[in-house]
Amino acid sequence: MTNEEIWQSVLSQIQLNISPANFATWFANTRISSIENNEVTVSVPNSFSKEWLEQKYHKDILKILKSLDDNIKEIKYIVTPVNVKMSNSQRKGVKKEEAFEQLGFSELEVSKETNLNPKYTFDNFIIGPFNEIAYAASMAVVEEPGKNYNPLFVYGDVGLGKTHLIQAIGNKIKESDANKKVKYIPAEKLISTIVNAIRNQSVEELKKNLRDIDVLIVDDIQFIAGKDKTQEEFFHTFNSLYQKNKQIILSSDRHPNNIPALTERLKSRFNGGMIADINTPDYETRMAILKQKIEEKNVNISTDVLEYIANNIQKNVRELESAINRIIIYRKTNNKTIELEDAKKLLKNIIVSPSKITNYKKIVESITEFYDIPSGNMFFSSRKKEFARPRQIAMYLLKKELKMSYSEIGRKFGGKDHTTVIHACQLIEKEYEENEKIHQEIELILQRIYSK
Amino acid sequence: MNFTILVKEFKKGIGMAEKITGKNLTLPILDNVLIEALPNFLKISSTDLEVGIQWWGLCKTEKEGKIAVPARFLNQLIGSLPDDKVNIKEKGNSLIVESKNLKTQIKGFSADDFPIIPSFLKEIYIEIDGKKLKDGLMSVVDIASPSQIRPEISGIYFTFTKDSVKLVATDSFRLGEKTIHLKSGFKNLFEKEVNFILPQKTIKELINVLPDEEKNVRIYLSDSQVLFETLLSNSDHPEINLISRQIDGEYPSYQEIIPKESKTKITLNKEELIKQIKTAGLFGGRTNEVVVKAEAGEKEIEIKSQDSEIGESELSMDSKIEGESVKASFNWKFILDGLSNMKSSEILFELQGGDGPAVIRPIGDASYLYVIMPIKM
Repeated sequence: MTNEEIWQSVLSQIQLNISPANFATWFANTRISSIENNEVTVSVPNSFSKEWLEQKYHKDILKILKSLDDNIKEIKYIVTPVNVKMSNSQRKGVKKEEAFEQLGFSELEVSKETNLNPKYTFDNFIIGPFNEIAYAASMAVVEEPGKNYNPLFVYGDVGLGKTHLIQAIGNKIKESDANKKVKYIPAEKLISTIVNAIRNQSVEELKKNLRDIDVLIVDDIQFIAGKDKTQEEFFHTFNSLYQKNKQIILSSDRHPNNIPALTERLKSRFNGGMIADINTPDYETRMAILKQKIEEKNVNISTDVLEYIANNIQKNVRELESAINRIIIYRKTNNKTIELEDAKKLLKNIIVSPSKITNYKKIVESITEFYDIPSGNMFFSSRKKEFARPRQIAMYLLKKELKMSYSEIGRKFGGKDHTTVIHACQLIEKEYEENEKIHQEIELILQRIYSK
Repeated sequence: MNFTILVKEFKKGIGMAEKITGKNLTLPILDNVLIEALPNFLKISSTDLEVGIQWWGLCKTEKEGKIAVPARFLNQLIGSLPDDKVNIKEKGNSLIVESKNLKTQIKGFSADDFPIIPSFLKEIYIEIDGKKLKDGLMSVVDIASPSQIRPEISGIYFTFTKDSVKLVATDSFRLGEKTIHLKSGFKNLFEKEVNFILPQKTIKELINVLPDEEKNVRIYLSDSQVLFETLLSNSDHPEINLISRQIDGEYPSYQEIIPKESKTKITLNKEELIKQIKTAGLFGGRTNEVVVKAEAGEKEIEIKSQDSEIGESELSMDSKIEGESVKASFNWKFILDGLSNMKSSEILFELQGGDGPAVIRPIGDASYLYVIMPIKM
């Protein structure tokens, strides 16, 4: 007989001798937690039940147990509080009917053990062409942590859902196997922890803690750029986890090769697994995100308003959410439906954000600096290949960023024909789409241009 | 059972015990108090299986015995008696109450059906000034809010170190922390940090039970329970035992919520702020939202509120503003709750812009702080 069956037969006999109310009060949530050396351990939900069973029913229980198994000599009662905490999926069912957005302490949601926020799950993660590779890789990691794709390196611009994705992996792994030790650490926190450990001379302890983990998730790893001591410690941790087939998940705003001041050995480690990027979401995905958001909040907003938002906010999911939130709050506080005109007014600040400003000089300077070529006449007329490619990129960017006309660009480059300029722009456009290296170079140049 | 006791004493005990009984449909015995006549002492107990109270009072016992009787009814009866002596006997399953001009008989139940209130190992304990504990608890108890989803934050969190007690409560929108520094008369025989979380309901009972004068309370612990004990004056005999379950779980690391620095610091007169917030609150509408605006270099802050149905208000008050300009929206009731627990004449309002946590502190009293999240604008 299993412990459950034994306890079941005890309960069925006890039930005959006491009132249903007493039975329900004192025997609910009781069970046998173990039988060892002729001693039965009965777990009860609270101290009141413990006292009651010990003092009122001990003899009866012992008698019944003995009739089932002669060897039983002792019964011990222990208190095991019933866990009434709802699981993740149940939690979601509880809809907050907040009329407005009172901010809460997000720290309280975070699990103390894993540092993960339960609100990040795959269920509310929207998949589109822009992130499907990262998603597929994440699912592979969830299935067999440490086996496929180790490390998993996810990169993409701010507000596209990197943190959501990597935390969802952690939550999912924890959900399927509660014994797995999952730890989520934002890189800034990792740095301060390591710095503190060095100061308090507790590095060994920290190392031990970090190496005990089954799944280590580090967010915004690019912040360790230039932090040599942190990089060194992280390198050792990385190796030790990697050798034990423990899963490592990293996120960054750029490809590992483009993280400045990152030691080569870390770069090559980061490149050693799967690198997945998250792009900007396409229109359909943006609509899907908006629709999910209003469903979550349980409000009705007309499709033309949603289309307006999806059309005007293209690069950032977080901005998309903040726009829809603004609409929802307005709707709730004023209790009226939102027309397209209202939406335009409400979102003026978000949508007409001051556009990035640059000029001809900045673009040319950034390119010559980037390729480390003299900015004199050569750049504008030399036929050498080392000048030709940067020049083509310059033309492309002048067209794209400043909307200069082809002939105007031609004049800037020593009176070149406008067809030459068109050819250059088309060529680079194509390369930008197809050639990863060129794509990255241009992105980096753009960063330089706009950070000046 | 047969004993004689002063009505005043009896009232005290039954009044205390009656509070935690209630209508209990599954186990009607819980609507009763257990009356026990012990040598020289009357003991009254009650429980709702979450909290339990035991009270002892001096009496003249002729014959020992015990019986359970309906709590509310007995309380009403004793409440109507004049301050004199009263004799109480047990006959069959009834309680007979007799005084000068009165003889009543109340139907009761066998004491055997009454739940057994868990006992404690009383070797090591924490001893603390009950008045200080009571005042501290009163300043945080109402902040917690019942939550089925996160039971661990629905309670009050206690941390005892070797020379201080921290009491913390939050409802995830705001958080209060009271630190009681203890110099003399405090004992922590555990000789280590002790933490536990108790239900809000327990704390409300505890506040009722704790003394208003300086008198020590002892705190005992078991795996899942806590016992608060006060002693009878000039004696080592317990007067009140309040037993409660602990909330299972780990309290979140709330220190991370408390901002380490702030972008704007505003010094304000507390009474005037309370007045202004209350006025602005009239126009707060359904959302209770008021906007606080401070411009760097100015000498006044603005408090604005509006509601499409009620109207709008614009108030200002003198203040000292340091740091950046700021505009942030708050639930005015939350601000008021925090201020009402502060005793200083001036307060410091520290903000982190419109969407970061703000801190309110009484100036000159480092023992209390109140963190509040804004409403998103």
